[in-house]
Amino acid sequence: MLIFKAFSALLSYPSAEMRQALPEIAGVVKASPLVGAHERENLLALIGEIGQGDLLAAEERYVDLFDRGRALSLHLFEHLHGDGRDRGAAMVELKALYAAAGFELTGSELPDYLPVVLEYLSQRDMAEARDMLTDCAHIVRSIARSLIARRSPYSAVPQALLVIAGEKPVDAVGVKPVAEQPEALDRDWAELPAFADVAAPAGGGSAM
Amino acid sequence: MSHFLERLTYLSRRRESFADGHGELRDEDRMWEEGYRLRWQHDKIVRSTHGVNCTGSCSWKIYVKSGVVTWETQQTDYPRTRPGMPNHEPRGCSRGASYSWYLYSASRIKYPMVRGRLVKAWREARKTLGPVEAWATITADEKKAKAYKAIRGRGGFVRSTWQEATEIIAAANVHTIRKWGPDRVVGFSPIPAMSMVSYASGARYLSLIGGTLLSFYDWYCDLPPSSPQTWGEQTDVPESADWYNSGYIIAWGSNVPQTRTPDAHFFVEARYNGTNVVAVTPDYSEVAKLSDLWLHPKQGTDAALAMAMGHVILKEFFLDRKTPYFEDYCRRLTDLPMLVRLRKDGDRFVPDRYLRQSDLAGEKKSRHKASKSDRAAWKTVATAEESGDLVVPQGSIGYRWPADGEPKGRWNLEEKDGETGTDIRLDLSLIDRRDDVLPVAFPYFGGTPHPHFAGNDQGGDVLIRNVPVRRIRLADGETHVATVFDLLCANYGLDRGLGGDCAKGFDDNVPYTPAWQEQITGVSAAHAIEVARGFANNAEKTKGRSMVIIGAGMNHWYHQDMGYRSIINMLMMCGTIGVSGGGWAHYVGQEKLRPQTGWTMLAFALDWVRPPRHMCGTSFFYAHSDQWRYEKLDVSELLSPLADPAPYRGSMIDLNVRAERMGWLPSAPQLNVNPLTLAAEAGKAGVEVKDHVVAGLKSGKLAMACEDPDNPVNFPRNLFIWRSNLFGSSGKGHEYFLRHFLGTRHGLQGKDLGEEGREKPTEVEWRDPAPEGKLDLVVTLDFRMSTSCLYSDIVLPTATWYEKNDLNTSDMHPFIHPLSAAVDPVWEAKSDWETYKAIAKRFSELAEGHLGVERDVVLTPIQHDTPAELAQPFEVQDWKKGECDLVPGVTAPQIAMVERDYPDTYRRYTALGPLADRLGNGGKGISWNTEAEVKGLGALNLRVNDSGPTEGRPRIDTDIDAAETIMYLAPETNGEVAVKAWAALGKITGRDHVHLAETREDEKIRFRDIQAQPRKIISSPTWSGIESEHVSYTAGYTNVNELIPWRTITGRQQFYQDHRWFRDFGESFAVYRPPIDTRTAAAMLGKKANGEKEIVLNFITPHQKWGIHSTYTDNLIMLTLSRGGPIVWISETDARKAGIVDNDWIELFNLNGAIAARAVVSQRVQEGMCMMYHAQEKIVNVPGSQITGQRGGIHNSVTRTVLKPTHMVGGYAQLSYGFNYYGTVGSNRDEFVVVRKLVKVEWLDRSNPVDPIAEEAAS
Repeated sequence: MLIFKAFSALLSYPSAEMRQALPEIAGVVKASPLVGAHERENLLALIGEIGQGDLLAAEERYVDLFDRGRALSLHLFEHLHGDGRDRGAAMVELKALYAAAGFELTGSELPDYLPVVLEYLSQRDMAEARDMLTDCAHIVRSIARSLIARRSPYSAVPQALLVIAGEKPVDAVGVKPVAEQPEALDRDWAELPAFADVAAPAGGGSAM
Repeated sequence: MSHFLERLTYLSRRRESFADGHGELRDEDRMWEEGYRLRWQHDKIVRSTHGVNCTGSCSWKIYVKSGVVTWETQQTDYPRTRPGMPNHEPRGCSRGASYSWYLYSASRIKYPMVRGRLVKAWREARKTLGPVEAWATITADEKKAKAYKAIRGRGGFVRSTWQEATEIIAAANVHTIRKWGPDRVVGFSPIPAMSMVSYASGARYLSLIGGTLLSFYDWYCDLPPSSPQTWGEQTDVPESADWYNSGYIIAWGSNVPQTRTPDAHFFVEARYNGTNVVAVTPDYSEVAKLSDLWLHPKQGTDAALAMAMGHVILKEFFLDRKTPYFEDYCRRLTDLPMLVRLRKDGDRFVPDRYLRQSDLAGEKKSRHKASKSDRAAWKTVATAEESGDLVVPQGSIGYRWPADGEPKGRWNLEEKDGETGTDIRLDLSLIDRRDDVLPVAFPYFGGTPHPHFAGNDQGGDVLIRNVPVRRIRLADGETHVATVFDLLCANYGLDRGLGGDCAKGFDDNVPYTPAWQEQITGVSAAHAIEVARGFANNAEKTKGRSMVIIGAGMNHWYHQDMGYRSIINMLMMCGTIGVSGGGWAHYVGQEKLRPQTGWTMLAFALDWVRPPRHMCGTSFFYAHSDQWRYEKLDVSELLSPLADPAPYRGSMIDLNVRAERMGWLPSAPQLNVNPLTLAAEAGKAGVEVKDHVVAGLKSGKLAMACEDPDNPVNFPRNLFIWRSNLFGSSGKGHEYFLRHFLGTRHGLQGKDLGEEGREKPTEVEWRDPAPEGKLDLVVTLDFRMSTSCLYSDIVLPTATWYEKNDLNTSDMHPFIHPLSAAVDPVWEAKSDWETYKAIAKRFSELAEGHLGVERDVVLTPIQHDTPAELAQPFEVQDWKKGECDLVPGVTAPQIAMVERDYPDTYRRYTALGPLADRLGNGGKGISWNTEAEVKGLGALNLRVNDSGPTEGRPRIDTDIDAAETIMYLAPETNGEVAVKAWAALGKITGRDHVHLAETREDEKIRFRDIQAQPRKIISSPTWSGIESEHVSYTAGYTNVNELIPWRTITGRQQFYQDHRWFRDFGESFAVYRPPIDTRTAAAMLGKKANGEKEIVLNFITPHQKWGIHSTYTDNLIMLTLSRGGPIVWISETDARKAGIVDNDWIELFNLNGAIAARAVVSQRVQEGMCMMYHAQEKIVNVPGSQITGQRGGIHNSVTRTVLKPTHMVGGYAQLSYGFNYYGTVGSNRDEFVVVRKLVKVEWLDRSNPVDPIAEEAAS
């Protein structure tokens, strides 16, 4: 299923070669029965953006989104295990899965890098792809939401993946731009009282 | 799987029970256990530790499965201590336990990153030009240069390749060396002890090309200058196990359980052993909870408390009754019996310098005539107890460096006269032999008004005390002398029965009684007395087993020396230094690089070129981030009321310039010309290079760069940062760095001296407008996107501590252990060794056609532990003012010419050079032949077999080769060398020390050995403690037991500092000085009001629990354990005053800049101060500041460095310069900030990524 390879390429660091292949990628997107009309439009917009301006500009945009922090990390286990020690074991399992299918990692990337996972799925049958995408749908959704919050056209890829997995894509209208959600941050970081039977504090200046 | 069918429903198997029915034998399916087995299965365990900035040096097991690091656990196989003592393990803490996360973290730097605008210009230029030419055009084009400099810190990185990144760096280095000079290429990396090879990689590359290495220990303000002042030793301290041997511990400004987590168990075990433990910290800290008594003096006033304790000890243990152990110790091992000249000043007398042998001509009471040797100026004089004769005791520094033809072997602490060889016993006091009692004046600073610290007004700034003296006739006429002991007692205000002003009892409000300190510190007199008594009592009974663990809480203040010396006084009085279980345990950024002499050879490329270029970090950053342009502290505020202010006119930087000119401090960049041009010029003129430089400096044709730091000719141009977060956690005066050093957006609020119309410096050229963006290229090697990386032009992904091979030692324990590569560096990371090797390779290629074999002129300061330290025995004279002649190495920096083979840089980097065997090796004033080691290394590392200049030399190709080189050359890891080193020292002391290492002569510790188990190092004369089966490591042990002198002017531990600048700045004796007034907060009050109440608080930055400096502060586990972002602790009282409640967003600001953080309101904090733990990053949860309109800064945003003149002193015995040994320090705790509630929290996320259109409009 070439469409997964196309998604893998779109989420990879832009290169001259990849930009040259953008028409080819667009062709695959247009032809794929797995992509609905709405998703297709967004994917083509993304393809347009990656091709826009000089390569360096596209690279800067990519680094600013994906090389800078946790929320938009394309390494799936960053979201699942974060800093926990389970992450190593999870990577070992994933590597074993690839090995069982006869693949090994060639470059320096980790097994849980989303473009790696998608490339793997491009070589597998649809049932396995759906299974795996369903398994990590919550992560894909979180990445989609973060990208939408940043108004990035890159959100087209995770949204399309959600649809393929049979999940509901993120409703873009409901996502606030990132600059406008300090309360969410407070909520994320607020500590629940250990003993008292009190609801979580609203954060932002509530005395405890 | 349920295994339903395998379970029996109707039957059961016969079971055999054991252990009284607690266990039973079963025989059934155990497949379910496989899940757990697989989960914890691993392919290998590798020993490593955690790197640069933690001094824990803990051994860890790193588990690897399928090439992935899966987890880490603590190693528990340290060699045992000895019967009767607890063992070292387990070592480690929550920070180390969460480290494996960094490997695969989202914040890991995965590829070489270059600023997009720079790489665009570079690729454009490279289409038509060679690399060096390309760099030249980019930096020469002001618009292009500004385009990438102005965006530093604001995103815009792209991934690059190693090939491209190293090419840009190499081209920049080649161009800079050719156009501006090699000393304009600068490097900063700290704490080599924690990963020696990694430090050495960059240092070796820079030393080969002639770049400048900046010191860090002083810049971090972790160096205690009081240690070189008192002992002539950078820092030497007991290992943590020795706490257990103590009977009385005071933890003073050191939060052991929090900042020395893996060692804290010894502290607890000591308590079980019956040790009395006192904590002295202003806040209710973690260590306070562990202690029997918690004293909480007002922050920054601890010296007052320590002075009062010294007062009690002197009175009760020296004057009211004599304590034989204390007296004997002080007589033999301190300067207390030495004689000090008194200078007449009106109707009073002022303590002057030590009496010297050279003064004695014509004095009848001395047994010998004046010596003609110039060393006589460096021999101090005392009185023999029995005869009353003046004697010249052995061991003073004049005996350390005998002139040609003078006898050797008299530099020791035997009780002998050095000239006649007769046995002597020195007089501590002249009170029974006095010719007179004279009024002697001492400076008093305790009444100096300060807006935030209570003083104790004594009606003036001079104290007059009666002192017993002798009259002696000298070559220059009659003079009066007193012993240091008698002067010390007078300074402490003790009653000697000689009349005059002094304290009759502890309750008198007279400096420095317990009652006197109460007003300043808030600690009750009774507590001061109780602790002093307890401390000294224990020391008397145990012969010195009383200890002070001291830390950053004391050392980071401007007047740190006074805090430290007032405590060191107590330790010396009680005979605790050099005694196991006793002494001075300074644990602040300590960096005991145990195999030091092996490492210096590798790191500073001493095997190829000597001398290397070193620079004092603090003076460098003060000058080049232009913090001097904003100086608010007048030199006159620091002067003693007894000093003539005339020689000290001008601004702080003026004194620093003089110090650099007089050869006291190093200077870099050095001269206002490219040093590679000087040799050719001299050749043309037909004179020696040295004479050419001297003539140029004298005529003014040449000038030192420090006199004009804002001239583009004198800018540092390329900066390497590795193993450090220089602009973040270490960037004191962060906003000044941003503005002047980097030329990007900043949050600076204050104006410079020019804008304020204040007096400008006299020695330094003032240029308007102030330069912005001095650096052309900033390269940072790191594994995570730290604040420093954000501001760099090129960021290189480095191997983490589980991905490289390296060495690691600490002074918390005597073991050396490795960092090992558990897995290959992930993504495109490389180890530091490989990175600099790659740069060196590309540099060598690009040098062809631009740089060949070049002659370079290197200026170095007068160095400690060399004969040159006998440079300026009496007066301070500046050649530029015509006060003396310019004599290199005596009145000015040393001048050396060296040859650099630039195209051979890579080959030299990877082979041990010929100077190793030709000039030998050594350190701290001793040296030995290394031919055997070079031969041995050739066999071990194999030899270079390419034909060329390095053919046949031992290889240093890999990081393991480098580690072996260090260990093979160092006495601490090669027993044969240790024996040689002790023998070499024995020639100077005239005593046999070889027995200390003899038993381990055959031992060679190698890299694979320490991978198997940490090894205890071998005793070496580089250090003052020993490794033995009988005592724990403690500093000063060999001084006390082997009678090796301390490396000071008197050869003894010094209560007194007789250098002119110390006297004039009022610090010849320890006294109490209140914190300085930095004048940065009040000026901002109400200036940018936001409607919230503003209060002013002292800004304290202790070390934290959830990170090691800034490392781990972007680790989610550690963030979760704290509050997940920048926080500042304030007291409940202050919070109420400002209407702040816990968890509010607040803003802290002053003229230096602003911080946005969350408030933690807590009872543990004293009113009047706030604490922001060092160091939280700019990259996690930092909103905008309303003051600056930018992201809310880091803790260093509100600081600015202020130099201290006494730290500039040099050319004078123990006060001579050494890299990271002496020099100006970056103190920061005297700072005050305005605190208020932040009304609008803005995340400023729109500012990134960079919007090119808005950017154009703005510029």
